[in-house]
Amino acid sequence: MKDFWLIKVFRGTGYTLVLLLEALGLFTHAWKRRAAIMGQMHIIGAQSLPIACFFMLLIGMVFALQTGIEFARFGQTNLVGLVIVSAMVRELGPWMTAFVLVARVGSSMAAEIGTMKVSEEIDALEVMSVNPVSYVVMPRVFAYAIMGPVLTVFGTLVGIAGGAIVANIQLGVKLEDFLRFAERGAEPLDIYWGLLKSLVFSLCAAAVACSNGMRTSGGAVGVGQASRNTVVIALTLTVFLNYLLTSFYRMVKRLVAGLM
Amino acid sequence: MAGTDTSQRKARVDPNKPVVEFIGVRKKLSGRMILDGLDFSVRRGETFVIIGYSGTGKSVSLRHMVGLMKPDEGSIRIDGDEITTMTQRELEVLRRKFGVLFQSGALIGWLNLFQNVELPLLEHTKMSKRKRAEVVQEKLELVNLWQDRDKFPSEISGGMKKRAGLARAIALDPQIVLYDEPSSGLDPVIAHEIDKLINRLRDSHGMTQIVVTHDMESAYTIASRIGMFYHGKMLQIGTPNEIRTSAVPEVQHFITGGREGAVSTRSDAAIQHGRAPGMLSQRTAEAIDAAADAAPTEQVYVLLEERPDDGTPAPAGAPSTTPELKPEAELESTQEHQTHEEKP
Ligand SMILES: Nc1ncnc2c1ncn2[C@@H]1O[C@H](COP(=O)(O)OP(=O)(O)O)[C@@H](O)[C@H]1O
Ligand SMILES: [Mg+2]
Repeated sequence: MKDFWLIKVFRGTGYTLVLLLEALGLFTHAWKRRAAIMGQMHIIGAQSLPIACFFMLLIGMVFALQTGIEFARFGQTNLVGLVIVSAMVRELGPWMTAFVLVARVGSSMAAEIGTMKVSEEIDALEVMSVNPVSYVVMPRVFAYAIMGPVLTVFGTLVGIAGGAIVANIQLGVKLEDFLRFAERGAEPLDIYWGLLKSLVFSLCAAAVACSNGMRTSGGAVGVGQASRNTVVIALTLTVFLNYLLTSFYRMVKRLVAGLM
Repeated sequence: MAGTDTSQRKARVDPNKPVVEFIGVRKKLSGRMILDGLDFSVRRGETFVIIGYSGTGKSVSLRHMVGLMKPDEGSIRIDGDEITTMTQRELEVLRRKFGVLFQSGALIGWLNLFQNVELPLLEHTKMSKRKRAEVVQEKLELVNLWQDRDKFPSEISGGMKKRAGLARAIALDPQIVLYDEPSSGLDPVIAHEIDKLINRLRDSHGMTQIVVTHDMESAYTIASRIGMFYHGKMLQIGTPNEIRTSAVPEVQHFITGGREGAVSTRSDAAIQHGRAPGMLSQRTAEAIDAAADAAPTEQVYVLLEERPDDGTPAPAGAPSTTPELKPEAELESTQEHQTHEEKP
């Protein structure tokens, strides 16, 4: 009676994609649901800001320390700023923020929707002819998609600041040297690309969380399972998509450089 | 606004036509026949009570009624409209006829009671804020919760959740209200309050109501008719009096809490193992069918669980009291097997 696991994977993926498209297609309801979207933006964005900043600060600090030690061997400690900025803007900023969000928001989003599902609240909405995708899923997906990139901006800035502090205090790099090289770390296109990545990760995590929530069955155990699956799948997808996107970006950049 | 709506609708429709009709509905879930040829119909303005053992598919049949589940076979008609083939859009229109009280109330956790009752009005009407507040007040006062309107579902008791769920269910003055175990988990006084509410809605609003319960006292208080759900179909349908004096042993067994009457052997075996009687496992059913074809070699017999004539009230003392015997094949579990052999 049990379905082959691959079939389950395909069915889950299909459901998630359809759910995401349906939620995005319901953007016309966004104005009607603005209160819900704002509420979710508060939970996803404002409440996650401290933890995201704390994470990024320490990551920036450790990163500066590690690269600084290596650069010092070649007497190039000044280059720390360049490395930190390029890594933060293109890689660490978007996906470390995505990690923090999945852990803090994705898991609880799946658990919340999963609880609604097993306590028949989703059914109740459906019976009242209130589309649960519009009422529950859409506000979460939109809020996540907006706040993911916003948090990435903050996280990246804080991460760079953390790097600068360590470079200044522990590595003895003058702040103006740090900034001088930092400017060369990223061009505007890199910044937009980083934000686009963050948007992709956010949509992906929100869709996975909502989809796992909506497919929950089997009481409290099922809710726990939905939450766990969300974290595992969303994190896996994030690193995987990140690799694909980075490869793609390099390819495009090379092509553009070749043309010019 | 909603009031004139219902009266117009009433004038148009034939009062004798059934509001809800199930015809030969079958549904298999995780390998088990949960609904197995379910036949019944509910008349306008009556309170139809469905009784039956827990975990046998009463909630599943309610979910079919509002199109949350589709049957594998058979036909379901609401006001004469076939709903099994309806599109999502058509179902949304259909569901406006229904109010549903779910087993746990199913209130939205982040809305307070006022907002919960207001939700269907916000979504489906263009009422002004003040008009909405009036309707919400009327419904919450009906269930005696107006003073608790600012509380959130997590702050109130189970009985209050159910009453609030009822207020929300009737916010749009539906024609048909479905209740899934409205009195389970409540103390007798509150449970009786809910029964009185159900009767009030029938008498003053003329609502058609379908109530799933296993509280017999409540069933006798509210029912126009009672249907006993057993092995995926209606074993007997009758007035409260007909059910009380039923000659069907399974019905007697249920309504007396197992003190009188009897159930089929396999149900009995299930009870011995602390499981719900009255649910047919697909594998066991197939085993029995197979055994009917094969030559009977074993000397063990079980009571055949399906009656030849379902849905209609069994005549007193008819087939039900003289059970048909069938040779038993390999039963699903050895545990059940042992129980049978212990029988004299
Ligand atoms: N969506 C579903 N998928 C699989 N099995 C289900 C589903 N819904 C209910 N069931 C099974 O159907 C049986 C009947 O459930 P239910 O209708 O809730 O019983 P009750 O008569 O107590 O209301 C149970 O054994 C349950 O496990
Ligand atoms: Mg039930």
